[in-house]
Amino acid sequence: MSENLKANFEKYALLSYHHIPEVHKIDIYESAGGYVSMHKAFKMGPDKIKEEVKESGLRGRGGAGFPCGTKWGFFSKDRKQKKYLLCNADESEPGTFKDRYLVEKNPHILIEGMIISAFALGVDKAYIYIRGEFYQQAKILENAIEEAYAKKYLGKNILGSDFDLDITVHRGAGAYICGEETGMISSLEGKKGQPKLKPPFPAIKGYRGLPTMVNNVETLSAVPWIVNFGGKSYRQWGTEKSPGTKLFSISGDVFRPGVIEVPLGISLKEIIDNHCHGVSGSRILKAVIPGGSSAPILTAEEAMEVTMDYEAIAAKGSMLGSGAIIVLNSTRNIGEILKWTLEFYHHESCGQCTPCREGTGWLDSILKRKLFHKSKLDDVDLMDQVASNMRGTTICALSDAAAMPTQGIIKKFRKELETYISTQGNN
Amino acid sequence: MGKEKITINWNGKDLEVEEGSNLLKAALDNGIKVAHYCYHLGLPVAGVCRMCMVEQEGVPRPFPSCNANVAPGIKVRNDSEKVKNMVEWALQLHLVNHPLDCPICDQAGECGLQEYYLNYGLYDSSMIDQKVHKPKVQDIGRNVMLDAERCILCSRCVRFTDHITQSFEMGIVNRGDHATIVAHDELHNDYAMNLVDICPVGALTSKDFRFKQRVWFLHEEITTCIGCETGCKVKISYNESGAYRVKPVFDSEVNGYWMCDDGRDIYKHLSRADRVFSPMKKSQGLFLPTDEKTVFETVKGKKAKFILSAGLFNEEYEQFFERFRANKEQVALYTLPNMGEDFDGILIRGNKNANLKGAEAYFLKAGHDPSVEQFNRLLSSLSDKDVVFVVVPEILYNQDHFETLVKKLSKAKYKIALTTNDSMMILQEFDFLLPLKAFAEKAGTIVNFNSQERHMNAGKIFVPEAKELAHYVEALL
Repeated sequence: MSENLKANFEKYALLSYHHIPEVHKIDIYESAGGYVSMHKAFKMGPDKIKEEVKESGLRGRGGAGFPCGTKWGFFSKDRKQKKYLLCNADESEPGTFKDRYLVEKNPHILIEGMIISAFALGVDKAYIYIRGEFYQQAKILENAIEEAYAKKYLGKNILGSDFDLDITVHRGAGAYICGEETGMISSLEGKKGQPKLKPPFPAIKGYRGLPTMVNNVETLSAVPWIVNFGGKSYRQWGTEKSPGTKLFSISGDVFRPGVIEVPLGISLKEIIDNHCHGVSGSRILKAVIPGGSSAPILTAEEAMEVTMDYEAIAAKGSMLGSGAIIVLNSTRNIGEILKWTLEFYHHESCGQCTPCREGTGWLDSILKRKLFHKSKLDDVDLMDQVASNMRGTTICALSDAAAMPTQGIIKKFRKELETYISTQGNN
Repeated sequence: MGKEKITINWNGKDLEVEEGSNLLKAALDNGIKVAHYCYHLGLPVAGVCRMCMVEQEGVPRPFPSCNANVAPGIKVRNDSEKVKNMVEWALQLHLVNHPLDCPICDQAGECGLQEYYLNYGLYDSSMIDQKVHKPKVQDIGRNVMLDAERCILCSRCVRFTDHITQSFEMGIVNRGDHATIVAHDELHNDYAMNLVDICPVGALTSKDFRFKQRVWFLHEEITTCIGCETGCKVKISYNESGAYRVKPVFDSEVNGYWMCDDGRDIYKHLSRADRVFSPMKKSQGLFLPTDEKTVFETVKGKKAKFILSAGLFNEEYEQFFERFRANKEQVALYTLPNMGEDFDGILIRGNKNANLKGAEAYFLKAGHDPSVEQFNRLLSSLSDKDVVFVVVPEILYNQDHFETLVKKLSKAKYKIALTTNDSMMILQEFDFLLPLKAFAEKAGTIVNFNSQERHMNAGKIFVPEAKELAHYVEALL
């Protein structure tokens, strides 16, 4: 077998198999080195797996960046208790398409990750909640799960142990808010997709009132590598506080948009210039949204200095989020960017908490006052005020997700926004 | 047994609270004013209005107090600038899409938005944008109207129909600022009017009460409902021109925060035109005013027999038996037949005799027989030497049953009804009507289903000429 059909574990933890044709088939995945970690994990035992994950410093890849090992530590250790593992594949943040890319090419890495994680956590029922629009990807996952059942990697007495696991793929109905973990649980329970009050947190009381571990696709998919090579070697990549590799989905004004896997701590300049072959269109960088539409915008200067790890971006007043990099060149109108962002959050607010329900709509209306010839320069201040009072006041973070980019744009592109607002007309 | 008390600190003041109690409830129980819309003591927590925010020492961010429990020694504040600002903005955002149609809104005067604006708002609105419009003036059942635009989506009504009546009529559809309160179905539970009470704004209004009175022209008198033997604590709102509505008053032992829809009607006869305003004498098929003296002179010399209703107060029975020391055959108790199931699981009971337990006790105490057999014996003993006094029950769910009784009285020489009103055709069978005080015009006690004494308070008197039963007994003797 040629080297080309083997997984590239030296360079990648997640996209190790992506160069192999038809790796979505279980035989090809296995012959490339897949499911080795699973066998290894069953020999290691749950506690050792958890130790390795903790040691690796793997952080939640859904956006919040909470250390995965710590989160697992909160979970009930009673192996007899009914509990659930829920894989968050509801990737809906504008600009994010990393999980889709990972799963549609290589569904087995997720399934393997889930088997190992479920074994470590003592869970016998897992769900993959996948975004409704990802119909094709859901099919791919379902086929892969069937293959895994046929190989007895799923079902009863996996690998001759007393461990059972069933995985069900559940398609959402296309609501952004169902990507929030408690919103996802509500939706999975058959209720309206609205986040639940915390505390209690899902790790204590989640799906059907039972302990539920919710992890992102990318987080779970990193587990096989960590189990295979150890938590310590995972730290060969990334920084002290943000170890490992991360998928970045780059869109906007670059010559080569797409998904890349690079170590955390890489400079944004390198991503744009080397991996994406530079800024397209006017060739002049204006701004970068570094972590999906809810991350506050970075100016060109900031973007050229920043490195892509949780701490460095936070220091610039933004966030790494889901790793969705949106590159804007100098022809882009910042007012339009804000308009699209606010329209999105206005549309996606679940309508439960007042500050978010009314605030997202009102921000959208204020920005559109120009259409009714009602805009004033003070509107920028008003938007800033509304946004700042939407932050930290609601059940989930959607309110913050709408407020943060608004405040970011006001802070960094105020002049341009004022021009936008005071220019009457359709655009 | 009460739970153990612990001490927490609220705005620098120590409070004694029950261990494990909800933080917001603990504050409210201690008389502290905390703004809240979605929280209701009788319903599960929703935590969506974000008005009851507090800061706690050692907790990084403010949080809603309705979703927290007390713990010994916690230090909580809601008077910091940060929290005050949060509450003001939460209120401002509540009002962004509110139509502000207070001048034509029935809730004005008792509206949570108005109240909190004065307490926590007092800002100048910056809202000049097009508001979101939603369906108004929706008829959603026998007694409730819905205006979705005024709704602040606190979800109290949804939780009420989901958890209390479990009839699931209300729901919220759509997302974001287009989220709209809807009735999936006509309200088909017997407690629908509670939705009007728990709605903190004017979204749900009572068909019966709307547009009748401004609430600031009303006074309230707390009393007990006489609709059935449950004996819910209620308040009656009235003013010079009449009585207008009945609302429940919290009572931990009997009705909690609720009351049934039937009970909402008990005020209706109080100030109606068909109240009997003076003694009446039937003359050629019409009742004409007369005076008490004429009535009692006419029946003088006849043997008086009394049929009492089971809706009088304990004191009235006592006074009656003190004065009317006749032999056993002359007094009987009329009880209303049961309606529907014995108990619906929430509040309504099939026994519609508000004070049956009290009546029976006082009958027996005075050596009289409250049984149906005695009632039948009295009916069959009637002759033309008798004058029969019938106390007409104030609330009659089953008029047919009462009419059958009245028809059996025909052998008596004179038939006299002691009644609050003359709305029923069957009263034509009587020779005289004597005005009786209504339940809300006299003070006393009744005994409810679980033998608890319930207090009745005297509110506004609509018919000054109306007397209590004892007065007529005295006049007779």
